[in-house]
Amino acid sequence: MTDSIRTAADRLWRAAESKEPCKPVRDLIGDLEIEAAYKVQEINTARRLQSGRRLVGRKTGLTAKTVQSQLGVEQPDYGMLFDDMDMPLGSEISAAAVMQPKVEAEIAFIMGDDLDDERLTAADVTASVAYAVAAIEIVGSRVRDWDIRIHDTIADNASSGVFVLGDAPRRLSEIDLRLCGMVMERRGEPVSVGAGVACLGSPLTACLWLAKVMARVGRPLSKGDIVLTGALGPMASVEAGDAVTARINGLGSVTAFFTD
Amino acid sequence: MAGLEELAVIVDEAQRAARAIPQLTKDHPDLSVSDAYAIQALSVARRIARGEKRIGIKMGLTSRAKMIQVGVEEAAWGRLTDAMLLEEGGVLKKSAFVHPRLEPEIVFLLKKRLSGKVSALEAMAAVEAVAPAMEVIDSRYENFKFALPDVVADNTSSSGLVIGAWRSPEIDVSNLGMVLSVNGRPKEIGSSAAILGHPLRSLVAAARMSAEWGEALEPGHIVMAGGATAAHPASVGETVSLEVQNLGCVSINVEA
Repeated sequence: MTDSIRTAADRLWRAAESKEPCKPVRDLIGDLEIEAAYKVQEINTARRLQSGRRLVGRKTGLTAKTVQSQLGVEQPDYGMLFDDMDMPLGSEISAAAVMQPKVEAEIAFIMGDDLDDERLTAADVTASVAYAVAAIEIVGSRVRDWDIRIHDTIADNASSGVFVLGDAPRRLSEIDLRLCGMVMERRGEPVSVGAGVACLGSPLTACLWLAKVMARVGRPLSKGDIVLTGALGPMASVEAGDAVTARINGLGSVTAFFTD
Repeated sequence: MAGLEELAVIVDEAQRAARAIPQLTKDHPDLSVSDAYAIQALSVARRIARGEKRIGIKMGLTSRAKMIQVGVEEAAWGRLTDAMLLEEGGVLKKSAFVHPRLEPEIVFLLKKRLSGKVSALEAMAAVEAVAPAMEVIDSRYENFKFALPDVVADNTSSSGLVIGAWRSPEIDVSNLGMVLSVNGRPKEIGSSAAILGHPLRSLVAAARMSAEWGEALEPGHIVMAGGATAAHPASVGETVSLEVQNLGCVSINVEA
């Protein structure tokens, strides 16, 4: 473990603890392989688990072609979801606690099986999804002003914040994963529209990518895990006082409420 | 200021010759939106006099993004004629246009008259069928740049229509995924919810706005509800297709 990886992890950890955004970490690890950024993420994942948190799922990020090209990458990234990121429907989310929140509308899968072999197919993943629900992911950044490049966001747990899951679970056979329309409204205005295909062609493809990588790096998806598959449209900004509703055709709607 | 009739001839001739013209507001900075609708009516009347038939209207500037881009608070509308219809699965001859772009839309076919202020319920009851559609928009202005009076005078850029198979009006069109693909690969992705939040609102607005100009939406007319994503500039050799959740597909081949 190089010192720069440890220093980067410390910088992000302190920012998260103090709620005071920090400098990017690319000055420390930007010249290294992407794996170095995941090592930074892993240090803080271990810290969170040691502090008593439970790993409840994973997210894929950078699942839109446009976002990948903005960051100069050709694949998605991943982050860890912990129990304290799950915001029950109807609860108020502290915008300050998330740190520079933005919202994305997504399809979440709840896994019905363990996927601990990296030699997976789309068929394996299809059979393993217990159900899908509409979700709002509230992403955040420990990095001041979202001044992120690829190493910064991966090191920062893929810019994870919190999430709200909808309450209309559907089996995959009941929905159109690729063509389902999505609209996210803030104060009655559509602030983001899209469709399932925006997430790597299909949210199932994102989940397959994630499941393989998770098996390889030793944090395989398990029964009951939540997978936030990736945004179906552009992210939108939010502020305290907002209520943001995402509707995904076939999956009902989900609302996130924001307070100071 | 040149007469409105004169300006109507300019936009009509630009359309016929597929030639770009300077914005009308460049030489006529005082041109009002009201003048512009009068120019549109006059220029379409020329098309009717040449034997074209009115088949309905189109709504434009129906997304928040477009309204902000053009700096307006309200949608705009234009008149459609049968000469604009392109065969679904057929050919878009690029040379017949100035700089055509394809826009994913939802289209309504009416079975009842709608005029003036109507409720969403009345609008819905007037719908015979819905279909996926692409509109060929082709601003006659250089570089596709215009102010609101320009685009209104230019019949809100309408120039072509590709309409798919009609489906039941029972289908909920409020939030259908829409994917515009070029040669099979997704290029623009959106939802019908981008159309004023709900395409039905566009139909209500169409009845209200056209009535302000003494027009009604008649049985048999179609109403193109507005673009759901950014428009795709057509290039020769492309096959451009639109897939709409629960409504099916339309496609067109772009040739020189």
